[in-house]
Amino acid sequence: MNRRKVVAGAAVVAAGYGGYRFVPALFGPRIEFETLDEPRGFRRIAGGRISTGFAPFAGISSASAPDPLVERAARIVDDDICGALFGASTTGSDVVRMASFSDYYCPYCRVQTKRLSTIESRSGGRISVNWHELPLLGDGSQLAAKAALAARRQGAYAVFQERMMTASFQTTPAYLAAVSASLGLDYDRLEADMSSPDIDLELHVTAELARRFGFIGTPALVIGTTAVQGEIGERVTTELIKIERDEQRGTCA
Amino acid sequence: MRRFPEGRFRTAVLRRLVAGVLALAIGSGGVTAATSDAHRSPALVATLITAEKGVAPEATAISAGLALTISEGWKTYWRSPGEVGIPPTVDWTGSTNVAGVEFLWPAPTRFTAFGIENFGYHDEVVFPLRISLLDAGKPARLNAKVNLLVCSEICVPDDFTLTLDMPVATGIDAAAAARISDFAARVPDDGTASGIEITSAFVAADRSALTVTARSERGFAAPDIFPELGSQTTFGKPDIRLGDGNRLMWAKLPILGSAGDLPALAVTITDGARAATVEPALSDAAAAPPFLLDRMVPGVSEVAWIALIALLGGLILNAMPCVLPVLSIKLASAVKAHGQTRTRLRAGFLMSAAGVIAFMWILAAATLGARALGLSVGWGLQFQNPLFLAAMVVVLALFSANLFGAFEISLPASWQTRLARADGQPGLSGDFVSGAFAAVLATPCSAPFLGTAVAFALSGRPVDIVVIFTALGIGLALPYLLVAAAPGMVQRLPRPGRWMVWLRLMLGGLLALTAAWLFWVMQGVAGTAAVAGVAAGIAALVAILSLRRLNQTLRLGAALTLAAATLATPAILREAPPAAIGPETGWVRFERREIARLVSTGKVVFVDVTADWCLTCKANKALVLDRDPVRSALAEPDVVPMLADWTRSDDAITRYLESFGRFGIPFNAVYGPAAPDGIILPELLSTEAVLDAIDGARGMGATASGG
Repeated sequence: MNRRKVVAGAAVVAAGYGGYRFVPALFGPRIEFETLDEPRGFRRIAGGRISTGFAPFAGISSASAPDPLVERAARIVDDDICGALFGASTTGSDVVRMASFSDYYCPYCRVQTKRLSTIESRSGGRISVNWHELPLLGDGSQLAAKAALAARRQGAYAVFQERMMTASFQTTPAYLAAVSASLGLDYDRLEADMSSPDIDLELHVTAELARRFGFIGTPALVIGTTAVQGEIGERVTTELIKIERDEQRGTCA
Repeated sequence: MRRFPEGRFRTAVLRRLVAGVLALAIGSGGVTAATSDAHRSPALVATLITAEKGVAPEATAISAGLALTISEGWKTYWRSPGEVGIPPTVDWTGSTNVAGVEFLWPAPTRFTAFGIENFGYHDEVVFPLRISLLDAGKPARLNAKVNLLVCSEICVPDDFTLTLDMPVATGIDAAAAARISDFAARVPDDGTASGIEITSAFVAADRSALTVTARSERGFAAPDIFPELGSQTTFGKPDIRLGDGNRLMWAKLPILGSAGDLPALAVTITDGARAATVEPALSDAAAAPPFLLDRMVPGVSEVAWIALIALLGGLILNAMPCVLPVLSIKLASAVKAHGQTRTRLRAGFLMSAAGVIAFMWILAAATLGARALGLSVGWGLQFQNPLFLAAMVVVLALFSANLFGAFEISLPASWQTRLARADGQPGLSGDFVSGAFAAVLATPCSAPFLGTAVAFALSGRPVDIVVIFTALGIGLALPYLLVAAAPGMVQRLPRPGRWMVWLRLMLGGLLALTAAWLFWVMQGVAGTAAVAGVAAGIAALVAILSLRRLNQTLRLGAALTLAAATLATPAILREAPPAAIGPETGWVRFERREIARLVSTGKVVFVDVTADWCLTCKANKALVLDRDPVRSALAEPDVVPMLADWTRSDDAITRYLESFGRFGIPFNAVYGPAAPDGIILPELLSTEAVLDAIDGARGMGATASGG
């Protein structure tokens, strides 16, 4: 009889431990936040394991001499960080705005970009994503980013992005010409836009934003007021969107 | 850095490098390490290492390595990174006394994440570097500006510079030398040392897929393939299949995207520690896979069909003479225990069903395990194993003797109390065991359905195997499940009485017959002496068990010892296989090479793959092959009947079956001038099918045989 009690007790303890240990994992840990000193009004997910230790922006050749473009980008971000982040996308109390930072040469960006596009298109206008090009991975990556921004000027950003994300490529002028032909774009205009100061400035603004948020690689994401580093999965993404929607924090509303 | 160095040149360099490093490493031990300061990031620790502690006098080259210790969860990429990604690059500007650096790429690992295929390295990689010096024997300085991409959930470019001064010195850093030679050995060679030969490579005209075949006389274990066809071309996940006793590797890769003119193809094949990179000439046609494509990646509907067939097959197995007794015993025991509650009855039959399915899962697990070990497995193959046969015979004979009333099987009292429920009803574990037993007995009764389903399972994915074996189990357990669903059925069975004694005797007789059949199979597998040994053992066992006066413990001990001894006999007494077969006149021994030769002389060859334990084969033989008109058709002068005896596992025959995607028998095929590749006959033969196939192979057309 005594032994039976001991066994039952042990079973209860084991079940309790098991429940404590495994059940929360099914629902996921609670997301905890850490307020950022800079930029003010933003926060990030606490305890990210990959937020420190890298030399910031190893891939971006930041000239040591003061670059007028860098200074202009910094001023733009200082003036209106929300506009720089989320663009002129529709505002409204009901819309959660996201800023995605990605690179065409980064494997996980493909996954994250596809996921975000799906979330945006399913939201019925209640989520809007502003796509930033953060080309950290060399010349091909820079060229692809410029081409994407140039395609946006022909109203073809989404199809261009989709094409680049589903194929493998080495970005060369010949490749870009072939893509624009197949998408019905004007390649001469695309080429001209790619070397325009506008696009250069746009890339610098994105780089400046990434610097302010301390992003060390791609993909990176700002959802409302929360900065996220790395590919985070569908569950955390939707959870964050829900939190941002519920809390209605005023930074960029 | 060259992207596709010439295979031969690289191999030569590599061999020299490995040999040199090893020779030097053995020769001396190191005090100071020839290692650069480390670059550390959360993703990796990078150093430049050299095997030599310095530039030795007269030395013209240094063996070095770019060593990366990669943190858990991070990876970096191969020279062809896959769909996206960036390979590491090194800029050597700023180095002194360096004429050139050859950067070698160890064979990569495949990473698949979210459907994206990437190739690279994790944990640790050392890129071997062969550094040639401008001035022999003079100090050198290595200045490596490294640019690489590391990814976990985030992709981070990592740029850093490593420098290493090489003074004039002699001696070897054994640890560094070992690391370099370890990874130098993983750099793909041209196929000579690794024994991997690429036999064909075909790019579809529409650039939809690449098909490659390779051979290795050592046999492949778990090969992977990494083709490179210019930076614009990427490939999807390969479909890799092995054939010809694992000596043949066939791979087909979808081409996901390509543009412009295709450069020369380079194919890297890895298999465990060995790897080869070859630039094969393109073939004109795709090589045929060693087994069929549609069985490889079946759709959901196809799996459902096959599962249904397996379910039916399982159900039919209940009617087989070797299974029927078990079901009947089970039902009889339910009749006997008339007083049992519905709940108990239901639980008992559910347990039996669970026993059946559990055994099927064990079979599925064994199949998966065997497949993982690279074995080819066929349904009923266990009947080639004398130990298994002996165990089955012993169990069957004991059950039969029990039914004839020679002894009562009763568990020790302590077991009984443990197994029995409080109300004194027999325990459920017995029900479980009887279910499992039924499943064991069912395996040799390979009905035609079963052959199809199991062949599908063996060539399919692991999930297919599990689905099929589960469906088989459910089919076999269906009668038990029916009784469990409606226990009232048992109430309608006749009351116990004298007829039960007769039933018992009849069932005992059936079990004895099955045992006798297994004896006959064993005679074929292990010889007459083994059969005699096992028979003697069984007789002694039954005698001991029926000695009721003997102390129970003693009796049980003696029985167990005897049983073990009996099981050992076939292994000891096993005879060498008979040198030649040919009990049937006119049948020649199967010789795969002979088929083509005979066909070229205008003969028709009829191949019958059979085995003593294959019941369907016996039926085919008795009902079709040994009867007219087939018998006389096979006896005609231009027909050569060939007998392949698979009773004892035979590699040549197994390979022959595999070449048709078959893993079980019966298997029959007809070759002739009009059918050099053979006409495959259905598992269950019919006279018409055989005659039509013979005429078809001869080239006479099917109508000629109509009369």
